[in-house]
Amino acid sequence: MKTLFAILIAATLIVTGCNKSSDSGSTSNAKGKKVTIALLPKSKGNAYFISCKNGADKAAKELGVDLVFDGPTDPDPAKQNEIIENWITLGVDGIAAACENKEGISTALRKAKQKGIKVITYDADALPDARDFFVNQATPEGIGFTLMDEAARLCNEQGEFAIITASLTAANMIEWQKYIEQRRSEKYPNMKMVALRPCDDLKDKAQSEATSLMSANPNLKLIMAICSPAVPGAAEAVKQAGKVGQVKVIGLGLPSENRRYVKEGVTDSVILWKTEDLGYLTIRAAKALVDGDLKPGATSFNAGPLGTIEIKGDNILLGKPFIFNKENIDQFNF
Amino acid sequence: MKYFREISVALALMALLVALAMVAPAFYQPQPLLSLATREAPTLIVACGMALVIICRQIDISVASQFAICSVCAGLLAAMKLPLIVVLPASICIGAVLGSINGALIAGLGLPSIVVTLATMVTWREALRWQRQGEFVNLPDNVQWFGLSQASGQWTIIAIALALLVILAICLKRLAAGRFVYAVGSDAEAARLAGIPPQRVTFLTFAFMGALVGLAAMMNVVQSPQVDPKSGTGIELKTIAAVVVGGVAISGGRGNLWGAFAGLLLLACVSPALTHLHVESYWEKAIQGMIILLAVVADGIRTRRGNT
Amino acid sequence: MNKFLRSNLAKHEAILLAVVIGEWFYFNSVGAHFGSLDNTFDIIRHSVEIGLLALVMTPIILTGGIDLSVGSLLGLCAILFGKLWRDAGLSPVTAGICTIGIGALAGGLNATLITWLRLPPLIVTLGTYSLFRGLAEAITHGVDTFTGFPSSFLFLGQERFWGIPAQAPIFIAVTVAVWLLVHRTTFGRSFRAIGYSPEGARYAGLPVDRRIAMVYVLAGIVSAIAAIIYTARLGQAKADAGTGYELYAITAVVLGGTSIFGGIGTVHGTLLGVAAIAVLSNGLVHARQPREVAGMLTGLLLILALSSSVVPKIFARLRSRRHTAPPNVPAVKTS
Repeated sequence: MKTLFAILIAATLIVTGCNKSSDSGSTSNAKGKKVTIALLPKSKGNAYFISCKNGADKAAKELGVDLVFDGPTDPDPAKQNEIIENWITLGVDGIAAACENKEGISTALRKAKQKGIKVITYDADALPDARDFFVNQATPEGIGFTLMDEAARLCNEQGEFAIITASLTAANMIEWQKYIEQRRSEKYPNMKMVALRPCDDLKDKAQSEATSLMSANPNLKLIMAICSPAVPGAAEAVKQAGKVGQVKVIGLGLPSENRRYVKEGVTDSVILWKTEDLGYLTIRAAKALVDGDLKPGATSFNAGPLGTIEIKGDNILLGKPFIFNKENIDQFNF
Repeated sequence: MKYFREISVALALMALLVALAMVAPAFYQPQPLLSLATREAPTLIVACGMALVIICRQIDISVASQFAICSVCAGLLAAMKLPLIVVLPASICIGAVLGSINGALIAGLGLPSIVVTLATMVTWREALRWQRQGEFVNLPDNVQWFGLSQASGQWTIIAIALALLVILAICLKRLAAGRFVYAVGSDAEAARLAGIPPQRVTFLTFAFMGALVGLAAMMNVVQSPQVDPKSGTGIELKTIAAVVVGGVAISGGRGNLWGAFAGLLLLACVSPALTHLHVESYWEKAIQGMIILLAVVADGIRTRRGNT
Repeated sequence: MNKFLRSNLAKHEAILLAVVIGEWFYFNSVGAHFGSLDNTFDIIRHSVEIGLLALVMTPIILTGGIDLSVGSLLGLCAILFGKLWRDAGLSPVTAGICTIGIGALAGGLNATLITWLRLPPLIVTLGTYSLFRGLAEAITHGVDTFTGFPSSFLFLGQERFWGIPAQAPIFIAVTVAVWLLVHRTTFGRSFRAIGYSPEGARYAGLPVDRRIAMVYVLAGIVSAIAAIIYTARLGQAKADAGTGYELYAITAVVLGGTSIFGGIGTVHGTLLGVAAIAVLSNGLVHARQPREVAGMLTGLLLILALSSSVVPKIFARLRSRRHTAPPNVPAVKTS
């Protein structure tokens, strides 16, 4: 029985080897063939990336691009690499990736570039040699500085604040924290960060953490929630503790999740950017790169309805972080 | 000593609380403690169910997925403006159905519970993720705190959880059904020969677990105006650890709900304790792992000393 | 092992092989580049670490135990490897050897608690699952990652060696070693005996504790090897490496026909289980299906695999019940 298995397995492997020509990598955009662009979020099932995808879908439809959207559903760092390697074999024309691990994902992106696939990053960059352009909605520096500036403004530049992050290992949040600290030490030395707690990307846990933070630090003036489920979680905790106004809440999150708290005055500002525009611009740029319309060294890029976008170095700049507050939050649906 | 384990866990908890009182008295403010207790109440309900399942010599690692599905379904029903008096039983029923699926596979087909619940956990979790794509469910205003004030709502939730704990503990001890769970967990074949139907008991235990999860999910949903589809992530580890630390033997047939309660309190206090002691949060997992190991090692040493 | 069980197991593997082949042909027809050599190598490269963990999980489950801590140990070994290389300045080879030693020690911790104190493996490894991951986070403060490894090291995870992925020879070597251990040595026979009945094995004179300790230490060693390959493949070592891998490994082992209660199972079954999951997951990408579908189908596949071994037994029992005497007839002694 066992020899039979061995033979069958060997046979299957041989059949494999003799199978389709191992013509891997992307075929260049042959006449009449639809361009395929693969969009990689940091993780699937994340409302932020879904709204980026909505913008991307719009661009794909306008440009006649075949859009493939896939992302990791579990937290293992290697998953993004595996997906990209699958796409290389699948033969996509372009890859647009939001990078969870800068160095780790560059390994896979470099391979894609070698095979002739155009690589562009958005939301979170890889190493510069692994991609052609980075669609930058706001540099980590810009995000960190804006967060710290808003915090300082709300606290009159002095007092204690705490940060709630997703997990201690999330690469982009680590970068933001770096810039938050840099801004704080340079401009607001009277503000002190007293704690950094992870919420594992869970709203409920963020609520518990915020409650403990307020109780452990009676002089806490502000909670900065840099992970999007944490913003409504922290706001709910402040509300339940009866400390609205006493402890301010700001963070990076979606307007739709925070509308209620912003209107009630629990959350002062939600910082983000127009995520749909980000997705839209990313696909436009990716297609232009594949077609050869966008070349390294360009200083501006025509993004159709979005207008002419400035390119600084290899960063395609969407703009600065946008602050959603009581006055403007109703204008946004995502 | 009959309740050695439960008492030692309670003592460990006392020690932690006393240490906190001395070093970080800020821990003992009424409002934050009330909020913390309310947040942990759903976990307590699930822990009671888990204790039953483990006493029955099974295990259920799919509770997190059940919790998430019940939460989202309850949220969606509430968002359709159905009254809470309908939503609450609906959530319990959905949980019971999920639990029954586990029960049917485990008791009906005799499949090992760890693998069945592993399979259902993955299947249900991915199905929910696919459907929801991370989107929150926004609830109408009268859902939070059952439409009561915050304080009343919080005390109601805590009261429900504690009442359930007491009732289940008494039922487990006094009711024949409770005895059956211990019997089947102890030795299913002996139970069968004694006239107790092990398959039925096992099936009902899983179905009951599901119902408790549905109740717990509802208790969680009413605590905020939005439902996160990732609610309940990690609850299987939390409750299994709590139950085991509290003295319920994984080999079945031993332990009680009070131990599970003490174990849950101990583990739940680790995180806020670290915050109040201003210890870096990256120690949390290591400390929880240590507590679990210490609890079982203490057990093992005691048994070993008793045997030699 | 009686004939009925053995033939049942062989049937199980045959069905699983059919499933793998079926998957292959289906995805071949649906996906343009699925059957290519490049894709096959992709499948192999992506499943080596989980495959290693599944392989070493097989003897553990054969003894009736389980090890939930292998994924966390992978993460811990990965960052320790990175730390030894970057902060202690060791060469990748030396750091690798030290890491394997640490993996063995960690496995030894599991082994000690399980054998010396006779604690249930599920709970011990649940504790070490948190402990190892927690130590990884504590050592790196969560934020530290290790990158910039020399390309001679990265070759292991990313390049090809004589035409096949560089990590494949290591995987094949470990597979052969574990297969020989389980199927051709007395150690392997003793694992099955212990799984069948630990007390019986003890009375039969088997050094049960030493054998059980052996499998957990082995798991530690192989987890360390998997961690090194993982780091080479990704080019980065992080504290959350390998999250969730233990469940994949257990799924593959059970899919392959090994009974979770111990005593029954094969290493080639586990390999087929790994292949089934890996091909499914890769194929669905080529079939343009969302990732969640892979998870759902894997769960369903697992239940089907479990049920397939049980359903014939149920039918047999139902059939035989019709032929037994009514209960109030006194039983007749037959032997």
